[in-house]
This record gives sequence, C-alpha cells and structure tokens, in this order.
Amino acid sequence: MRLIRQNIERKTGAGSATLLPEEPEDMWHAYNLIRPTDLLRASAIRKVVTESGSGSRSNERVHMTLTIRVTKLDFDPQAAQLHVSGRVAVENKHVKLGSFHTLDLELQRNFTLEKAEGWDSVALDTLKEAINQDAKAQLWAVVMQEGLANICLITDHQTILRQRVEVNLPKKRAGSTDHDKSLQRFYQTTFDSLLRQLDLANPKPLLLASPGFTAGSFHQFIKTQASNGGNKQIQQLVPKITVAHSASGHLHSLAEVLASPAVTSKLSDTKFARETQLMDRFFELIRKDDARAWYGPKECELAVERGAVGKGGGVLLISNSLFRSQNIQTRKRWVRLVDEVKEGGGEVRVFSSMHESGKRLEGLGGIATILTWPIEDLDEEVDGVQEGQDMPDEDGVDGGVDGIEGVSGHDEDIDFL
Amino acid sequence: MQRVKNLGYDEDELYDNHDEYEQEDATAYTAEDKENFATLTPVIRAELDEAGVQVSDKDIEDALWHYYWDVGKSVSYLKNSRTPRLQQQSTEKSDKAKAKSKFDEAAERSAEKAVRTTMPPMFAADWFRNVSWTLVPSHVEGDLIPNEPVRPMPKLLGGSSKLAKLAEERRKKAATAAASQSESPAPNGSLSALERLSKPRDAKENEAPGPKVEPKKYPIRKKRDPTPPPREPTPPPPEPEEEKPDLRASPTAFGLALSTSPPCGLHPASMTLKDLLGSEVADDPFQGPSPDDTVLRAQQYSKGTPNKRRQSGVNGLAKKTEALKLNGTAASAPAQPKVRSRGLDVPKLWAEEKSRRKASAAFVVIGHVDHGKSTLMGRLLLDTGAVAQRDVDKYQKQATEMGKSSFALAWVMDTGTEERERGVTVDIAQHHFSTNSVDFTILDAPGHRDFVPNMIGGASMADMAVLVVDANQLESGMKGQTREHVLLAKAVGLKRIVVAVNKLDSTTPDAWSRSQFDGVKGEVLKFLRESGFAEQFVTVVPCSGLSGDNVAKAPKVSGPAAWVANTHPTLLKALEKSVIPDIDGATIRRPLRLQIADVFRGGVTNPVSVSGRISAGNAQTGDSVVVQPSGETATIKALEVNAEPCDYAFAGQICTLHLTDIDPIHLRTGDVVCAASHPVPVVKTFTAKIEALKSLLPQAMDVHLGRLHVAGGIKQLVSTVDSEGEVLKKKPRIVKAGQKAIVKVGVEDGVVVEVGDRVVLRAEGATVGFGVVDGTA
Repeated sequence: MRLIRQNIERKTGAGSATLLPEEPEDMWHAYNLIRPTDLLRASAIRKVVTESGSGSRSNERVHMTLTIRVTKLDFDPQAAQLHVSGRVAVENKHVKLGSFHTLDLELQRNFTLEKAEGWDSVALDTLKEAINQDAKAQLWAVVMQEGLANICLITDHQTILRQRVEVNLPKKRAGSTDHDKSLQRFYQTTFDSLLRQLDLANPKPLLLASPGFTAGSFHQFIKTQASNGGNKQIQQLVPKITVAHSASGHLHSLAEVLASPAVTSKLSDTKFARETQLMDRFFELIRKDDARAWYGPKECELAVERGAVGKGGGVLLISNSLFRSQNIQTRKRWVRLVDEVKEGGGEVRVFSSMHESGKRLEGLGGIATILTWPIEDLDEEVDGVQEGQDMPDEDGVDGGVDGIEGVSGHDEDIDFL
Repeated sequence: MQRVKNLGYDEDELYDNHDEYEQEDATAYTAEDKENFATLTPVIRAELDEAGVQVSDKDIEDALWHYYWDVGKSVSYLKNSRTPRLQQQSTEKSDKAKAKSKFDEAAERSAEKAVRTTMPPMFAADWFRNVSWTLVPSHVEGDLIPNEPVRPMPKLLGGSSKLAKLAEERRKKAATAAASQSESPAPNGSLSALERLSKPRDAKENEAPGPKVEPKKYPIRKKRDPTPPPREPTPPPPEPEEEKPDLRASPTAFGLALSTSPPCGLHPASMTLKDLLGSEVADDPFQGPSPDDTVLRAQQYSKGTPNKRRQSGVNGLAKKTEALKLNGTAASAPAQPKVRSRGLDVPKLWAEEKSRRKASAAFVVIGHVDHGKSTLMGRLLLDTGAVAQRDVDKYQKQATEMGKSSFALAWVMDTGTEERERGVTVDIAQHHFSTNSVDFTILDAPGHRDFVPNMIGGASMADMAVLVVDANQLESGMKGQTREHVLLAKAVGLKRIVVAVNKLDSTTPDAWSRSQFDGVKGEVLKFLRESGFAEQFVTVVPCSGLSGDNVAKAPKVSGPAAWVANTHPTLLKALEKSVIPDIDGATIRRPLRLQIADVFRGGVTNPVSVSGRISAGNAQTGDSVVVQPSGETATIKALEVNAEPCDYAFAGQICTLHLTDIDPIHLRTGDVVCAASHPVPVVKTFTAKIEALKSLLPQAMDVHLGRLHVAGGIKQLVSTVDSEGEVLKKKPRIVKAGQKAIVKVGVEDGVVVEVGDRVVLRAEGATVGFGVVDGTA
C-alpha cells in the first residue's frame, strides 16, 4: 500500500490519509484500518435512474467519487476483496445524502480514510505497517496427509487456505492395488489444484509438509511430473520445494511447521518468527504454571491495571480482531489498554488473526500477557471483581467476535473454529 | 419367384378360409389324426408331468395339431404357456393370504355359512339368470347345439409354408366331406350371430386369434418366413367360388367362450363357468400343486442353502414373504432385484445361537516401531495355517531381492508397496484366523509415531490388545510408542492385554535369557499397573516372532528356550484364554451404529462397500441405513463377517457392508452408519471428561473419535474434577498433566458423537489427553 498524502494531526489524530492499495494483501490492511463510523472516500460506480419530463426512465451507470460513513465491512480473504457498506455522507448531483452504498475497494485506485474519532495509536501503527514497502515474503505450503491436502498461501500477515483436497482412500488390503491407485490419483489431484493456484511464471518457495512419507512421495511425484512433462516452468519450481514434517495434515499443524528452522531460514520476514517465539514462550510459561503468564480479557486488563505489564519483559499479546469490533466503546477499551502498556514501557504485539500464531492466540480469547512479575491467583481476583460488579466485558468480547463474524462466511475454513 | 408363388398361395388362404367356415364346424379329425393323437398324447403327458405341468388332453391335442405332430415343440410350448401362469396364480393367492387381517378373517367366517348354502354349482344358465336375453320365450328359443369345438385358429409361431400346405390339404379334404354332411349349424338368427362372433376376421393362418396365444414366447422364425404382407394389392385369384373379404370384428372372449364348448358339454345347463371362460382357467384347480405346496417347496428349496437353523426361528409371515421373493425372482429374473429385508429377529437369533457360536475376538497389536509386531503376526498366521508357507516363501524371495530378508513375515501384514519398500507398517492391517475354539481378527497397528492416528483407529475396533515389546530395547519403547500405545489402548477402553516379550532369540549375551525376560516383564507390568490396567487382565508371554518359538507352538524342550515351555503358555494359548465375550443382548437390541473404518470397492457386483466394527445394534441384508454426517440413506445389499457372506451381523463383530443406493462420495472413513430410524445427530461442539497427559489450554488440536481424525480443539476449560467427578475448580486457567477436567471440544466439521464415545486429543504429534464424551450440545 502506498501513502499518497496524509494530513493527520499528531495531537488530536484528526485528519485523513489517502492510500493506494497495490497488491491483494493491502485489502487485508484496509480491512484492519477501516472501522465502522469512519468516513471513506473512494471511486464508485452507481446506477442512476433519470426520469425525463415525459415520464420515461433511463438507467445509467455513472462513475463518481463517493464519500460514505461506514456501517459494515465484509472481507473475503480468498479473493482478497473488501466490501464497505455505508451511507452517503457527501451529496452530489446523482446521489442523495443518506442513501446507502457499498464501495468495493479496488487495487490501484486511491481511497481516502478519515477517522471519526481521530487516529488512535493502534490505527497509526496499522497504517505504518500497511505502508511498509519492504519486500514481502510469500510462501506456498501444502500441508498434507494421506487423503487430505491443504494448499495455502502464507504471507506476512495472513495464511490463506486456497484449496483443500480431500479424497477418500481405500485402505490397503491384500491382493488389491486400489490403495496405490487412489494414492496416485490423490497426488495428481493435489498437483493439478496446486498448479492452478501457483503463479508459475514467478515461482515462490513451496513447502510440503506431512506426517510419514506423504510429503516426500508427493515431492517425488512433482519431480517425475516435471521431468516427464517437458514443462519448463514446473522444472523451475522443483528446486524451490522444501519438504518438512508435520504432525498431521490439518491446517493448525502449520504453526509447528513454520516454527521449524528449515522453514524460518526460508522466510525473509522475521515478524512471524517473533510472534511464534512469543507464543511459544507464553505457552511454556503457562505449562510451568508460572504466574507470569495469563490469558483472557479480564485477567489481562487487571494485570495491566496493576502495572504488571511494564518494563523488563512485560508483553501484551493482542489479536487485531479485537480492534475490529463493531462497538466503538469496546474498540476504545482495547486501544486504551494498548496505550497503557506502551506508556508503562511494556511491549505490545498485535497479532494478525489470520496468521497461525494469531489463531493460537484467538483460542485463548484473543489476548494474553507475559507479566514483569508474577501475580498469583489473578483469576480468582477476577472472579471476585466479577461478583462485585458486572463489568461490561462480556459484550465487549462478543463485540470483538462480531467483528470477525462478518467474514466468518468466507474464512471459516481458515479461522480456527 | 419363390416369393411370388407364396404370395399367391397366401392370398388363396385368405379367401379359402371363408368359404370353409360353414364346413369347418363339421370338420372332425380324421381317423389318421385321431390315431396320431392317441399315440402321442401319452408321450407328451408323461413329459409334462415330469416337469410338473398340468395340461388337459385337449390342449395337448391342439398343440400337437398345430405343431404338426412335433412332440418336442408341443411340450415346450405347453410348458411355456402353463408354467408362468400357474406360478402367478400361486403368488397371487399367497399374497392374498398374507394380506388377510384378523378383521377380514372374522368377516369371512361369518360370511362363510351363507356363501356355502347359497352358492350353487356354477352353471351357465345360473350365471346369466337375470340377463334379459336369457328370458327368451320358449317358442322363439333356438336350440344351441355346440357339436364340435370351434378350434381357435391355428397358433403357430412363425408361418411355415410346409405346415400351411398341410393345413390346406386338410381343409380341402374337409370341404369334400362337407357335401355329404347333412348337419349344418341351425339357421337360427341368434346363433349365426354368435357364430359370426366366433369367427376371426382375419383368416390368415399364421395369426392366431385365440386369447391363449403368447407370441412373444416363441422363438422368432420370421427370417425364413416367406409369408408376405397380407394387404398386398395383388389381383384376386380367379376362382369362381370367391367370396367377399371378411369385415367382421374379431371375436370377443365372451363370444368365443359361448361358441367354444367341449363336446361333453352338450347340455347347455351343464356348462360351467370354466367352459364359458375357456381355458383361461385351469381345467382342474386341484390338479396342480396348491399355493401352499408352492410355498413349501420354495421354502424347502431355500433351506437347501446353509441357513437351515435360522429358518425355524422365523415367524410365518417372514416365511411367506421370503417364498414370495423367491417366486418373484424366478418369474422375472432380469428385473432389478430390490433388496428386501428378511425381517430376521437378530437379537433373538443371537440369543439362540449364543451357546453354539464359536467365540470371536479382535485384538490390536501395539508397541514401538521395529519391535516386531508385524513379523510376530505374520508368524502367528503362518503357524495357524491362515497363510500358506508357499506365500511366505514367495515373500522371502522378494524380500531377499530387496535386501530385507528379515521382513518376509511382516509382508504378510504389510501389503502396501510403500510399507514394503520402507519396512514400516503405515496403516492397520486386518487379518482373520481361527483356532479350534476362537475366531480371531488381527488388527496390526503401525508403531511409528507419525501413524498413531491409524493405531487409534485400529484400537477402537479391538476387544483386547497385544503389546509387543522388544526384550532388547525396552527403553526406546518406554520413551516412545510403547508408552503412548498403552495409554491409547486404555483411552479407547481396552481392558485386557497380552504382553508378548519378543526377540528373545537374540538377547545378549545368550539367547532366551530368563533374567532379561524377567526384567522386562517386571518393568512392563509396573507400567501397566500405573496406567490403570488390572493385573488379572494382563498376561506376559516370552516369544520370538522371527524363529516362531512360543508363538503358536511351544519351543523345543532341549534348546535354550526350554524353560519357557514349563512356565508360560504360548502366545496363542494366552490369547485364547483372554477371550471373554462381553456383548450383551441389550447392546444388540440398540439401534445400529457402525463407524466406517474403510470405504472400498468390494468388486464388480459390490461397487460400494464399507467395513467397520458394529459398536451397537445389529444389521441384516435389506436394512436401510443412514450414513452420518452426510445424512444419505443406503440399503444393505449384503453382509460379510470374516470374509464369509452372512445374513446378519451384530454388535462386536467387524463386518463388511455392501451398500446400494448411495454414491461413494458420501462415505468417508470415520463416518457412522446408523439405523435409518435412529440417526445419530451431527454436532460441532461437545463436552468431554478428559484426563490430561500434558498441560491443556484452549488450543487447536487433532481430535480422534475412533477412526475419525478431524481438526478441532479445546474451546473452553469448563472445570477440573477429581477422580470422583467432584468439581475442584471452575474455569481453570490451565489443566495440568495428570489432572482430570471437563472441557468443551469443538471440531471444524460436523462429527457424529454420542455420549460415552471415546475421544483422544493430540497436539504436535503427541497425545495430550483422552476421555469420554460427556454431553453433546
């Protein structure tokens, strides 16, 4: 994404930014930037009905630039499309104020975003990340086991399941070659689907992971295809293949694969590796029953309140899905929490909810902390607080979930649960 | 030339017939014909009796006449025309009998008396008593004298010019005789009308107008048939006695019946209904086998098949439907055979045969990789005779070629190409063998850690476990899959375990070291005890799979393994001793549940087959089932248990179901086949009571439910509980290893789960928890 111009005031956060999305992943950034109640200005095509004096009607498609106040976002990760619905905020000769419109953000077309309640720190960080022009790492991975293959694209911020191949393989039985035959057919199907997804002209690294011998056999299969086919492009793909071990063919095994050194060395970007490291550290601490690791919205809030997430190792791990809440209050609450940690000198990591480590965090409620010093029985204190006063957390958390629910129809294959 | 000639001849026939009608009635068989009848009729009757077909003399004569004394053809014609009809009748009758309800029976009984008294013998006059034309005044009444049966027109299949010529000769003879005949039909108007009705409009000889004709039954001989189309507009032959073409309609059945009466029925009043309706009704209803006889015979026929005993247990209704089915299939062989349930009462049969049935058991073979599980099982199969020495020799040769001669026995189980190349079992291998007292099913599990999912699937189908431990490498196993497999065996609910301490022939420094065996035994027993296996259910056996000592045969008394023979039973004996039937009638009466372990093509006749263990209920041929989660229905076409076809199967058996009416894309390994009446609901979340092996957090995991292996995870830690189920802590932050907890498990795709199912949770290639499904919500 390119920042065309911006006039954001440092102090108040008022102002707007004009951005140019250049590649599909920028839609994901846009999805994380744009919030309900923001003002979005982008080019649009609208059907305009004109009625002449004699009463005859004529339909016309008019290109125009529309400004809408956002009410709903809809992100389709597989097609990398973002649909933003809202009410028209600036009138023109074709469209009345307050009428509804859904903007489809397009690549290579500018859009201008103005925050309703100003650009907060999280939004600015997201913006900074979005306009980072460093080389983007991209990797294709096939996580497989006999009869199941998940073909996915791994980018810096997302893991996108592009295709799932599921074949029922008959089990081995004496005197029957059905198993071998269908295994070959399974490889063929996976290979064909993979070729449809890959951009062979510009091959990215390809990772094959499976338990047992499946990935190795599939690697062999691709090699055979490349040597037989006479297709130069496939032959160029072969040296880019890495074979790794995974515990199963399910997508969540990818986290384990990506953390393995064979793969981290291939991924140029270190962001993901850092996130994975942090998640591993957190899990390790909690397994040891160390009172420095806590998860869950209330626990984390309480810990932050006490200043336990501060200088010297305090880390707040938070999923960006929490900031996508429909509810402004909830969003503000998380932003406040992030700011508080930053002020206290602690580290804040915003995890992408569409990345493997982010998904692990989602399992824990989207938020976790590693404290500077241990606090025992934080959860019991939370229980006590809960009994005393009904904190408005519940709907806050639900709101956070609602934020992703809008897309759940599209990425349910990817999102864990 | 030939064509034209025949054409002319046939036209002749067309017209000839008409002028002969007057005389035809008077035509009797010639003396020569009668003689022929007399000689040939008994021959045909004998043949037909042999075939169980009842035919009247008249029919035989007719047939003979039309086939021109050809006995073979007549017989086959009579058989064909009679047999199906008889069967049809019997079918209909038994059908009626089946449909009779109690109410009907009562009504019938009450009506019976009245019927008996009011029903006179059926005379034609009575039959038409109230019809107006029967009340003709006597002075107008003509006398009906059915002197000669009007033969229905000849019923030959194709035309044959030779036959036709002979027929013509006969007719000419009759024509000459007619001049002297004084007897002619009465010139009564009504009669002549009737007569006319009886006359076929089309006089073509080859076409038979009678209702009996079933032209389809005869082989078609049209090719040689020189008969030209009759409507050919050739000039009429210049014969003086030519008549106009016949325009009369073809006779109705009724009309035909009236004019067709047997010579015996001279008195009109003595004509029975049967005479009226012609030969449609069998001459003597009691001549043929009664419907009951047919049913009995069919049953006897079916009893010839192996299930003799079972028949006795079936109620009458089932018998009748079965007989019906047999008859039906015989009559319409090419029709699509719709699988019909026999309605067997499987729980009852199970209880009846319980004492007679040989015990059966399935055991899963577990243990660390390369501890010799497959080899030991190959040895067991070889020594029990389930696998021929010839096959093993063949494997030996092939394995030696690949430089893996020690794997020859394992190849009995490891049939996959990849398994053989790498020398590692990948998937469960299933094999059967029998001893004198027990039918065993071997489920040979892979030992490699990557294939633990397959092992869980195999263990979930077993009744007990055989743990194979390498006497020389206990340590590697206890760190690896020996430990994990034992825990998983417990997780899927296995209680009995036979420990085979393997490779004792290669212990160092000397083979069959007793101290080493005792050491291994002690450690394994200790671990099993810690894992929660009761001591009385554990047997430890020393053996060597490669050499075969103490597997099926006791070792030699003289060798180093001599001590074994006195102290320990062979593996086979230990297995036999461990078999305890634990299926009760209640389980068998429950609705069917079978988790699919494999979907495959069972052959050309059975394109869709699934196999698995029936966990509850029973199944029989013809049952309709639902496959969850797809919700597709199917019908069980056939069943196999231990590769033997059978009619029913029940809980505890590992069986193969051949299905119809379902597309194989709806069938996946891990799906559940259930009774159509009681489909198991499909859920995405359920709660389970879990025992943690590692610390558990809400996180993504592999969820194993028997053969089913899906992505999912713990969504929520509900509470930790103690062994009594008392809640220790609600909403714990973490469940630590060794703790018991109630957790909410979610899965990505809908799964079939019932309360009480065993669930295993794995993450990052290790088992992290196992337990029992507590609730499905």
